[in-house]
Amino acid sequence: MKKNILFILVTLLLSSCEEVIEIDLQNSEPRLVIEASVNVLKDGTSDAVVTLSQTAPFFENYIPPVTDALVSITSSTGEVYNFNHTQNGIYTAPFLPVLENTYTLEVIHQDETYTATESLHTVTQFEEVIQDNQGGFGGDQIQLKAYFTDPGGIKNYYLSETLSIRGDERRAFNDEFFDGNRINDFYLADDLAPGDVVTFNLYGVDEYFFNFMIVLLQQTDNGGGGPFETQPATVRGNIVNQTNSDNFPLGYFRISEISTIVYIVE
Amino acid sequence: MFAQEKFTLSGTISEAQSGETMIGVNVLIPALQTGVVTNQYGFYSITLPKGTHQVIYTSLGFESYTQTIELNAAVNNSISLFETTEMLDVVILETDVEKTNIKTPQMSVTTLKANTIKRIPVVLGEADVLKAITLLPGVTNAGEGASGFNVRGGAADQNLVLLDEATLYNSSHLFGFFSVFNPDAIKDLTLYKGGIPARYGGRIASVLDIYQKDGNKRAFGATGGIGLLASRLLLEGPIVKDKGSFLIGGRSTYAHLFIPLVDPGNENVAYFYDLNTKLSYDIDDQNKLFLSGYFGRDTFNLGEVFGNTFGNTTLNLRWNHLFNDTLFSNLSLIYSDYYYGLELKFAEFQFDSGIRNFNLKYDFTSYVSDAVKLQFGFNSIYYKFNPGEVFPTTDNSGRNYRKLTDKYAFENAGYIDGNIKVSEKLNIQAGLRLSNFTRLGQASINVYDNDNPIIYNQNLDVYQKATPIDTISIARDASIKSYLNLEPRVSAAYQLSENSSIKASYNRTAQYIHLISNTSSPTPFDIYAPSGQFIKPQLGDQFAVGYFKGFENFSLEVESYYKEVKNRIDYVDDADLIANEAIEQVVLNGETRAYGLEFLLRKTKGNLQGWLAYTLSKSEQRTPGRTAIETGINNGKWYNTAWDRTHDFSLTAQYKLSEKWFLGANFIFQTGRPATFPLGQYEYQGQVVPVYEARNASRLESFHHLDISATWNLKHKSKKRWSDEIVFSVYNVYDRKNAASVSFRKNTDTGNNEAVRLSIFGIIPAITYNFKF
Repeated sequence: MKKNILFILVTLLLSSCEEVIEIDLQNSEPRLVIEASVNVLKDGTSDAVVTLSQTAPFFENYIPPVTDALVSITSSTGEVYNFNHTQNGIYTAPFLPVLENTYTLEVIHQDETYTATESLHTVTQFEEVIQDNQGGFGGDQIQLKAYFTDPGGIKNYYLSETLSIRGDERRAFNDEFFDGNRINDFYLADDLAPGDVVTFNLYGVDEYFFNFMIVLLQQTDNGGGGPFETQPATVRGNIVNQTNSDNFPLGYFRISEISTIVYIVE
Repeated sequence: MFAQEKFTLSGTISEAQSGETMIGVNVLIPALQTGVVTNQYGFYSITLPKGTHQVIYTSLGFESYTQTIELNAAVNNSISLFETTEMLDVVILETDVEKTNIKTPQMSVTTLKANTIKRIPVVLGEADVLKAITLLPGVTNAGEGASGFNVRGGAADQNLVLLDEATLYNSSHLFGFFSVFNPDAIKDLTLYKGGIPARYGGRIASVLDIYQKDGNKRAFGATGGIGLLASRLLLEGPIVKDKGSFLIGGRSTYAHLFIPLVDPGNENVAYFYDLNTKLSYDIDDQNKLFLSGYFGRDTFNLGEVFGNTFGNTTLNLRWNHLFNDTLFSNLSLIYSDYYYGLELKFAEFQFDSGIRNFNLKYDFTSYVSDAVKLQFGFNSIYYKFNPGEVFPTTDNSGRNYRKLTDKYAFENAGYIDGNIKVSEKLNIQAGLRLSNFTRLGQASINVYDNDNPIIYNQNLDVYQKATPIDTISIARDASIKSYLNLEPRVSAAYQLSENSSIKASYNRTAQYIHLISNTSSPTPFDIYAPSGQFIKPQLGDQFAVGYFKGFENFSLEVESYYKEVKNRIDYVDDADLIANEAIEQVVLNGETRAYGLEFLLRKTKGNLQGWLAYTLSKSEQRTPGRTAIETGINNGKWYNTAWDRTHDFSLTAQYKLSEKWFLGANFIFQTGRPATFPLGQYEYQGQVVPVYEARNASRLESFHHLDISATWNLKHKSKKRWSDEIVFSVYNVYDRKNAASVSFRKNTDTGNNEAVRLSIFGIIPAITYNFKF
């Protein structure tokens, strides 16, 4: 957020100008990307998807999926859930995690084994969405606020996601400044209009995923550069290559409880 | 045989018109091949054999004054010098070619007068101190829009910036577009890039020592200017004629007032203002009192969303006392406050942080003989750091009140420095500074297992924060950690011929407070943190050698330097620094090194004046792991600092076309600054994420621009006391789109990835009206 604000100020202040330019970039060796996300909904159902792909040269449009890997999750009580490849590097399995267990993800690709261990992180419940027609920079935009109450006395970390046809937004935050309070996540989009469907998702995560997402969001937002930018660096997740530690994968293995609330703009 | 009797000739030199004391005036006794220079308060003292001496007082821009002095007893000769009218509008670079400068061991230094700074064409027509010093060799910054400045590869927080002896923590307004210094209020500024004398300490890379004018003791006057974006007004005058004076100057931008004209309903504001004040009083010939104050603020408000205010406040009281005609002293009592406040209206809270210090300095200069000058004294600073306080601003704000623990420290130093003329050709400056830093107790301190606040996770190859096993409280008057450092400072000059000399210097400096910032250049969000149990003081060593030569109208300075700094803080890759109670969990100690070659060719006489500066240099940093298993940062490899510029070339020229017209031009060329580019991409949660190369392994495109200006001196024959001029300037004449940054992202319309260059300053014309009365 700090970076966004400064960027906005600079552009507001002066007639600064943005231009697309040609740059020759070097290409790294392809690396495996493992996006393993398990979401447990408040109604007790779950949705477990592992997406495997590889890194690609920056200016290409095609991200190669990995379709020939073996993916499974093993629980601390010994159950094994084998994931099946459906299409385009997406692997699924019926898998409902429980709070008491820890789960180990195993991906085997090109004779190398990648593993990560996680457990289920719970989340509080969304309570309501309130619409404010006098929000935003100019005081005249429709602003939506989705309220929830943070559990007091424990450190909570969140990933919030707001989806609508006017643009998706993602944020990672912790309860350092609002522990135990009723707080809101907000959504502002330029052309939000009555009838638009907006979905708010709140994921329970731990401190490591929170740190991971903070950096990732900075990098996807503006891609780095500029005097206000922090040093961009390839961010590591929680998955390790057991066979060859130098060939580390990108991505994260996350198991979260998720609270969802859908709102139709009035 | 009995030894020849010697007597002292001393006094204070002032400007005839205003009574303003003059710094750096040469007092020469040609027959004895000796001389002395007035100090920052205009005082000089020299001990000569009994008899008759011809003494010449000279300073560029002023009529030289020759006087025959009968020295049969101690003589106090305080005189005034008159400005040379025909040179009134001419630009000067103070450190001139006079013999005293070839001889002096002080190297790596440049002094600029306010007039010089005002003539250099800059962005938006506003004369700017920091932009002027970046035209000198060895001085650069981290790009347009970057605040602060970098000296010989050093970081922006390694510069000691002093205004009338008070430390300033932030030297820029509006992200570096303007500096905090009002050129109308300045008398003189000196930048030490190396060979830092023992009386200065606490920062590694440089000292920017700025003295404000005292105020006209003889008549009331006003100086000011109206520009496109900012205006200034300075009032000065006597309180008691010839004894006391006042000076008050203000400066402000008002560009934000135009925003609603362009974009109705837009309530965004961005402005700054400065206030410089000073009261001076000469109690008698031996005692002078000065009370100076500076107050500056930057304010940004983005509608209903966000409000931000930050700035420096300093207040200091100084007492010049002459114990006798060879012992000069200055006692300063200084209060300094840097405040930073952020209000997030939509999130209903306010965040305040800052640093406050009280400083006591006592400096003595003893003019022992005409071959030896001794300077000694001590400096004591008491700091209070407020890392942050969070206030909810409304009753139903979801935020809790939170205060990050205040930190306290005591920094003390004593020094002694001698300027010794060893022989006709050899002059030495040798000094020693002993500094101590004590981190005082505070309400809550983290205790870690094995005293290790940052753990290396070998499995994931990442650094992680350690959880404290306990928090304890230590009384404010007890010490958590104390450091003691000996800082030798030595330089020597050997005269090769009438007009040339070689010089060499070595200095060790210690820096105890650190700007916590992992952006390329400081932002006001950055917090100063004191050394302590986990953050060690930075220790720097700099060697420099140089060759100096004066020609007919030119002078040449060539210097080469090599610097190493230990304990330079580096941040782990995902370090979150804002409102971080425990910085020690995200930083590691690294080291930096910098080396370079600087050329400065100056023309200081005639209708065409200016300088050409070229620097070839390298500045890099590395943080190896603490053990053989740890990777360190950037795999423990050296990487370019954000302000590393291989080539840095500046040409600045001023030409007096006629009595009414005066032209100026700058040309700057620099290697593009380092940047980290992607080597690939991947998708996570439906978004494109770049895969990055090693830190700062690539560079942006070269940075260059040409600026021109024309000053029209509207001489009004009828109004003698009133002078005014109009300055027309154009920044970046050929409209080069210099990259302030390059971002790599997905174009939401086309779906393709692209590299986008952000440039801030295209071609910018400006008009400023300046007046003086």
